Amino acid sequence: MPHRLGPMQILPSPMKKFAADECVDYCIVGVGSAGGVLIQRLARAGLRVVGLEAGPFWDTEKDWVSDEKGSHELYWNDLRITGGTHPLALGANNSGKGVGGGSVHWAAFAPRFHPSDFRVYTEDGVGADWPISYWDLKPYYELLEREIPVAGPAWFPWGDPHGHPYGPHPLGGVGDVLVRGCTKLGIRSVAGGPVAILSASHGDRPHCIYRGFCLQGCKVGAKASTLITHVPDAITHGAEIRAHSMASRISLREDGRVDGVVYFDREGKEHFQRARAVIVSGYAIETPRLLLNSACPGHRHGLANSSGTLGKYLMAQAGNVVAGRFEELIRLYKAPPAHALSEEFYETDPRRGFARGFAVQTVGPLPVAFAKQMTAAMGAWGWGMRRVMMDYNHWATLGVLGEILPWEDNRVELADEKDQHGLPVAKVTFNLHDNDKKLIEFGKNKVMEIMWAAGAKQVVQESRFAHLVGAVRMGSDPSMSVVDKFGRTHDIPNLFVCDGSILPTQGSANPGLTIQALAARTADYLIQQGDATFFSNRRDLTEPGIRYDLSPPYTRFKGNPRIA
Amino acid sequence: MDTGGRLGRWGDGMTFVLTTELERGANRNLPAPLSEAATSILKHLREGCFQRSLCLIVSVTSVASGLEVGYEHYKGSYSNLVMYTPVILSGALAGAGLLGVFSEVAARTVLRWVSVVTLADGIVGFWFHVRGVARKPGGWSLPTTNIVMGPPIFAPLLFGTSAYLGLMASYLRREEDLGRFTERLGNLIAPENPGWRDDLRHGRFQKHLSALTVLWAFFSGFEALYSHYKTNFRYKAQWTPVLLTPILMAVGVGAIKSRRIANTALPAVSALALADGALGFYYHARGIARRPGGMKKPLYNTLYGPPIFAPLLFAACGFLGLMASLLRREKR
Amino acid sequence: MTRKSFPSHATGGELRDLEQPGYYGGFSTVSQKKSWEQATRNVVTDRIEKVPPIRFFSQDDAALLGAVIDRVMPQDDRSVERMIPILPVLDERLFKNSISGFRYEDMPSDQEAYQLGLKAIEEMARERFREPFVNLTVHRQELILKSIHDGQPDPANAVWEKMPIHRFWAMLMEDCVTAYYSHPWAWDEIGFGGPAYPRGYMRLENGLPEPWEKDEQRYEWNAPVDSLSQLEEQDAPPEHQSLHGHGGSH
Repeated sequence: MPHRLGPMQILPSPMKKFAADECVDYCIVGVGSAGGVLIQRLARAGLRVVGLEAGPFWDTEKDWVSDEKGSHELYWNDLRITGGTHPLALGANNSGKGVGGGSVHWAAFAPRFHPSDFRVYTEDGVGADWPISYWDLKPYYELLEREIPVAGPAWFPWGDPHGHPYGPHPLGGVGDVLVRGCTKLGIRSVAGGPVAILSASHGDRPHCIYRGFCLQGCKVGAKASTLITHVPDAITHGAEIRAHSMASRISLREDGRVDGVVYFDREGKEHFQRARAVIVSGYAIETPRLLLNSACPGHRHGLANSSGTLGKYLMAQAGNVVAGRFEELIRLYKAPPAHALSEEFYETDPRRGFARGFAVQTVGPLPVAFAKQMTAAMGAWGWGMRRVMMDYNHWATLGVLGEILPWEDNRVELADEKDQHGLPVAKVTFNLHDNDKKLIEFGKNKVMEIMWAAGAKQVVQESRFAHLVGAVRMGSDPSMSVVDKFGRTHDIPNLFVCDGSILPTQGSANPGLTIQALAARTADYLIQQGDATFFSNRRDLTEPGIRYDLSPPYTRFKGNPRIA
Repeated sequence: MDTGGRLGRWGDGMTFVLTTELERGANRNLPAPLSEAATSILKHLREGCFQRSLCLIVSVTSVASGLEVGYEHYKGSYSNLVMYTPVILSGALAGAGLLGVFSEVAARTVLRWVSVVTLADGIVGFWFHVRGVARKPGGWSLPTTNIVMGPPIFAPLLFGTSAYLGLMASYLRREEDLGRFTERLGNLIAPENPGWRDDLRHGRFQKHLSALTVLWAFFSGFEALYSHYKTNFRYKAQWTPVLLTPILMAVGVGAIKSRRIANTALPAVSALALADGALGFYYHARGIARRPGGMKKPLYNTLYGPPIFAPLLFAACGFLGLMASLLRREKR
Repeated sequence: MTRKSFPSHATGGELRDLEQPGYYGGFSTVSQKKSWEQATRNVVTDRIEKVPPIRFFSQDDAALLGAVIDRVMPQDDRSVERMIPILPVLDERLFKNSISGFRYEDMPSDQEAYQLGLKAIEEMARERFREPFVNLTVHRQELILKSIHDGQPDPANAVWEKMPIHRFWAMLMEDCVTAYYSHPWAWDEIGFGGPAYPRGYMRLENGLPEPWEKDEQRYEWNAPVDSLSQLEEQDAPPEHQSLHGHGGSH
């Protein structure tokens, strides 16, 4: 049976297998949003790359189901400890396990960050500045929007206004509510995107069928995940992806350079993959955990942690869900959860009394998720739960996506508990600060206002958090950050980090697109540096220049002409 | 000169000929300038001397269908380069039609060949749309869902049908040819051949145009069926094009067989279809305005609201039917 | 001492022994399973046909937890053969120690939390009503559970000093609603379309039903008159500090 990725696409085979003792050029830990793009680029450039992935290599037809409870295995379900004043829910909420990582179960909103996101400290005196500007990343946004490809309006009016290569999607009942409510209040909104979901067929990937199971892994192959967008091309070009390989430690040589990764296979057997350079793409919890677990002489507090900031400045976005009950039927389970949004409140407005802002987005919880939300939002139980759920089709749900600033005390550390391999698990601490609380309060009330304006008869809300970024911050000052602007650790010249964990701030945009754009840029840099990465300690910080010839197939000559 | 009118008297085999009746009616009831105009139009139609007008009609419908295919393919994100072809061709056809208005040579050459290419493109497009349905999850084993949600299956053929009009136009005579000396002389020297070219040339294509009406009605009626089914026939009015289509198709087929039907039922049903299309246009426009965001989101709501041009295309088949009823029949 | 309570129909008295509660009479997601692909069909069919045995809880604990679940996720209106299994699903999760990827730092493991929670509930019942929880009337069972729901256990119990009561309640609720609302019979009740691949949806807006779905047939539905778990319409939700949703939805 061929390994299927969606109804039409088949994983190229055979996949290259490097010999056990072979030294590869790059070993990438984690094949998710960033890892998938990196491995594809590096393989296309002719480098020898191995990707270690803790989870399975999904065959979407066999392994995924069109069912909420049955999709439990898509998430990172291994133990983590969560605490602080506002402990984050992990697992299904924000962490994936398996090739494609979190991009397998993201809702696929794909907005860009705003130019102001890269200068938060300069503009608002809070958070941090990025070592790069929006304009450094812009060509990568444009390229990735075509590779993924992103469907959305021809004119997206916020931030740096731009269009999208694929046309917008039709609205579902929830999107109608968002657009109606916003219009009533004079708030601009966009419909049908930007989402990384196909609004037309694309190569061997079909058009979306509007079934609403985006968060359960898109069996259709319409929603982009690196599993279907970049990994097949990586395999075609000679990359090896080793599934069920849990990295336990990065090995450091005496000369202060890393020489490979120790990992456990499915049976719990330990292996060592030698590599001339290592890239960690394990996301905001597993990346710092691996670096902390790799502590060794000379790096007592974790690898590349001379700044002491490793694991710190972890961020999640405020993700309050506002639910409104309508007289008429909505049937919120139809259409992708992500399909309309407004970024009208994205930027700092001094009149509101807090820095930064939030976005308003559609969400579409399926019955189990919705029932859980009603537990928290209404305190529903017993007959009350049965009653509110009998009205499931009358509810619409909108989400706040609010920027929470990077704080030093929000962090990833190692806990005392050990996992099945005997590795200390991560302990995540999350606290809300004054600015965050004000922002959440304002955002929540604004979205409730939109819900009332749309005609809801009852409005309730549940506070929650979405996405995880930060904890291995990128910056130009080695005493304040872990990696430089290309993801190279300040301390170790052939150790890189490339994933959401390097984000210094997070804006109120879903991070997926930005993570992939950063990965493509890092890949261009690595390719341009050539062998220097492996041998030289010199740090070249010139921009690499974007490579348009490393995109996966179907990138060119596809999509609507852009007007912006 | 055979005006067709002579054939059509009550009692002459009980055949009712619409044009004659209309001409009589116009002469009797309308003030002189209007009745002259009406009679003149009817004469031009009957004689097939309306190339300029049909060129103009082709041009206008091409602009409309070009806009429609343009935005429909925008929704489909031009994910295949071939999707640009109908947009380009409808522009070309509109231009060719316009040229045909001014130049007979252009009408007989440029318009003819652009129409042929556009027609071929419609057929190629049909194949792509069938393939598009097949490539949706479940493919043709889920025909209902995938026809409703896939590429509009008959839209390319409808597009081709309008190109066919251009092809027909290229064979007509021009308005000024009516009663022109050289034309009459030519007719005397070389009588009409029994072929389809001369039939077109002399306005003898009632059956031909009726057949085209049947096809057109089928394509646009089928689109109305599945897209109204998609919205569950929320409004009673959504049934009207669906119900009118088989009737129009039936009288269209009847008109091919019987002159009587061509002159009675065909114009009546066609007029209904025309009116229904106009009504549909109003409802669709209202539907767009009533969508969330209303006229603040004109582009999006035109894209995803009720398709604004679709009722006009349905009206067009009523228009064709009416026109067919005014033509002369083929000699065969 | 009635052990069951039935919701009432405003015009026709009590609702009981229903094959299918809810406003979508005759709607059946399972009848559509030929339009699902194999992997999903297996998962959903197993959910109906293969109810896992009780392996984690002792017999007594299972009986106690069963009684708790009967109040937390009541199904008295359903006919016996149409009851949705909740306890076995929860038992299987704990037996396999399948967790959702994290544990609050102030909570014990899920397995231990249930043991502790059950112990507390039983002690509360005996202290307040001098009887085991399973023997209490519906009303008295609800009194105990409502006090846990409200975060004000009556009577107080030492367990709740060690384990945050709102977290235990949230976990219990989440387990119950996961088992209940992942079952196709519950989908029929609430009018959810169920699995949708390869066949997706055509009618996205205005709450229109797909051809195989049913339109809502509403009637006035009331919880049993004296039930404490009835929703209080104007009641502000109890804002449990730092109680957050766990479902990813962005």
